[in-house]
Amino acid sequence: MTSQADYKDRQFLAVIGDEDSVTGLLLAGIGHVTAPPDAQKNFLVVDGKTDNATIEEAFNRFTTERKDIGIVLINQHIADRIRHRVDTYTAAFPTVLEIPSKDHPYDPEKDSVLRRVRRLFGE
Amino acid sequence: MSGAADREAVFPTRQSLGLMKAKLKGAETGHSLLKRKSEALTKRFREITRRIDEAKRKMGRVMQIASLSLAEVTYAVGGNISFQIQESARSARFRLRTKQENVSGVLLPAFESYLTEGNNDFAMTGLGKGGQQVQRCRETYARAVEALVELASLQTAFVILDEVIKVVNRRVNAIEHVIIPRTENTIKYINSELDELDREEFYRLKKVAAKKQRDNAETDAEMKQKRENQEALDREAGESAAADDSAPADILAVDEDEDVIF
Amino acid sequence: MEGLLFNVNNGYIEGIVRGYRNGLLTGANYTNMTQCETIDDLKLQLGPAYGDFLASLPPNPSTSSLAAKTTDKLVAEFRYVRANAVGSLAKFMDYLTYGYMIDNVALLITGTLHERDTRELLDRCHPLGWFETMPVLCVATNIEELYNSVLIETPLAPYFKGSLSHQDLDELNIEIVRNTLYKNYLEDFYHFVNNNPDMAGTPTAEVMSEILEFEADRRAINITLNSFGTELSKADRKKLYPSFGMLYPEGTLMLSRADDFEGVRLAVEGVGDYKSFFEAAGLGGGAGGPGNMAGGTGSDGKTLEDMFYQKEMEISKMAFTRQFTYAIVYAWVKLREQEIRNITWIAECIAQNQKERINNYISVF
Repeated sequence: MTSQADYKDRQFLAVIGDEDSVTGLLLAGIGHVTAPPDAQKNFLVVDGKTDNATIEEAFNRFTTERKDIGIVLINQHIADRIRHRVDTYTAAFPTVLEIPSKDHPYDPEKDSVLRRVRRLFGE
Repeated sequence: MSGAADREAVFPTRQSLGLMKAKLKGAETGHSLLKRKSEALTKRFREITRRIDEAKRKMGRVMQIASLSLAEVTYAVGGNISFQIQESARSARFRLRTKQENVSGVLLPAFESYLTEGNNDFAMTGLGKGGQQVQRCRETYARAVEALVELASLQTAFVILDEVIKVVNRRVNAIEHVIIPRTENTIKYINSELDELDREEFYRLKKVAAKKQRDNAETDAEMKQKRENQEALDREAGESAAADDSAPADILAVDEDEDVIF
Repeated sequence: MEGLLFNVNNGYIEGIVRGYRNGLLTGANYTNMTQCETIDDLKLQLGPAYGDFLASLPPNPSTSSLAAKTTDKLVAEFRYVRANAVGSLAKFMDYLTYGYMIDNVALLITGTLHERDTRELLDRCHPLGWFETMPVLCVATNIEELYNSVLIETPLAPYFKGSLSHQDLDELNIEIVRNTLYKNYLEDFYHFVNNNPDMAGTPTAEVMSEILEFEADRRAINITLNSFGTELSKADRKKLYPSFGMLYPEGTLMLSRADDFEGVRLAVEGVGDYKSFFEAAGLGGGAGGPGNMAGGTGSDGKTLEDMFYQKEMEISKMAFTRQFTYAIVYAWVKLREQEIRNITWIAECIAQNQKERINNYISVF
């Protein structure tokens, strides 16, 4: 299932979020830009103008293409926009974590993992 | 699972009966071991789910505190620093390390966060105004991210355990509902076949014995008859020796009679 | 003397600005605001002061959109006043905007350095720091072009000239560039209010000197405190201190030598106000200095930054006690900015459910 090599190199976090969440998390020091020429960032700022395809592409890049990311943080209201994609994501690595944002308080009902928890306990 | 039809394709021999019995024993041991493993994992799993539930709720609070400290920065700097922050991000200070924990033979990875030394992309941010708030906000967010990392570990463990438990339970169920009944069926089948064979053999032997007896009896009877006949013959011969003699003598006599002519 | 002719050109402006000042939120307003349970309640409380500008907001708006709308009002009023200003007052108001321009230019420099499409950045610029030729800067694709167009196209040219070369833009941290510009700007502004024939010797020069001196000192102190633990050398740091202010020159010299919070405290000891700030902050912060208070939650003592803001507001409030002065325009803008910060802060506290710190706003009326 998960071999050693699958996660030992995963040392970064990635974030998809609104401006404030990303800023805060970058302040914490998670921001990483890989060496040029391809200079990939491990964060994506989503605002009203960002379309769902961009979010989905970033999500796919962080979860499947990049092998150095261990945790993907995503704002819950943004996860809602690509809910089908988040809900069908079941791999253990990288972990996808839905976090609240400043303007959208956390709603445990929507969380894909929490819903699984609930289903398992038959609530 | 309709009884007799579901069994393994073996020849009902004593040897395969022995094999099947060993197999049944193995399956039963395996079943109890796996059952225990599944129970241990489920216990762990329930604990983790409970902790996830708690942590997720706590996270809401932690993130609120963190975003308030970001608001403080905005308040102190008097402007938006996010663009600058985004652009000055270079190399991650906050990184992950993975370690493993062994729960009943399942390796659960756990994330551990660490800060790389001497790596500060934002040291100068807010130099003229609000620098102290920026530093404080960094600490607050670093703590928030630590909490998130912990939660992520739990969640990873959750996903992996979920998977493992499913597999183990599937095995337990397979053993319990397929392999054991099937082996039992096979054993039953072999036993019944063997019994059948036994009975056949017995019947055959019995038949053979009966036949033999009959044969013997026949032979005896024959012998007896013969002997009796012989005896009777002897006696007859003895009794009518004259008659016996006479007869040929008769014939002779007749022949002689004929012959006598010459 | 100044009273004789002031109203000829500037009486209307003064009247308007005093009217605006009376529209500022008072302590009672703030008390009401802190009682709000939701952002909508807050919006309702702000109705009388900001009605028109908040009308377009959706129910339960985000704090950032609230801040944007309140800023819009300030900008609209500022533009109105600026449009009616003539002569040296117009120039004075232009000076006011230069501070915002510096931030905007710093933003564009950052964008150009990272090869971003700078046009996107125009939205992020502070509207008060908008200048007509700003879109021109976006044409620049490399730092040298940008430098040349900054020199030609912006009013900030004199602040670049002589202290920054185009290599500096590339190599120096953007914060150093920003603070160098700001230092030059403050010095220029100070020189302007004290030497312009319309202002020299008038209450404007007097009040503005006080305000700008305070601003210069505040920046010097902040830069010193924030530079601890960074690669900013003492010599470079010294270059960022404005060459006036109550601390200048002895205090500034001592600041440039300071190694820790204690050193800064010693340096500012000569000025009563700062001394008391540091004493208060020193008690709250403990050995680590005022910046290291844990987590930000539950720190009841005000930070140094808070006290500086408080002081700024008091100076600004006092400016209105003087007549025939341009300084009230400056003071009004600053008071208004603080008001926006207060509203944002209160809104943030409500949104994040952190009521215990909601009273951290600064109100002087």
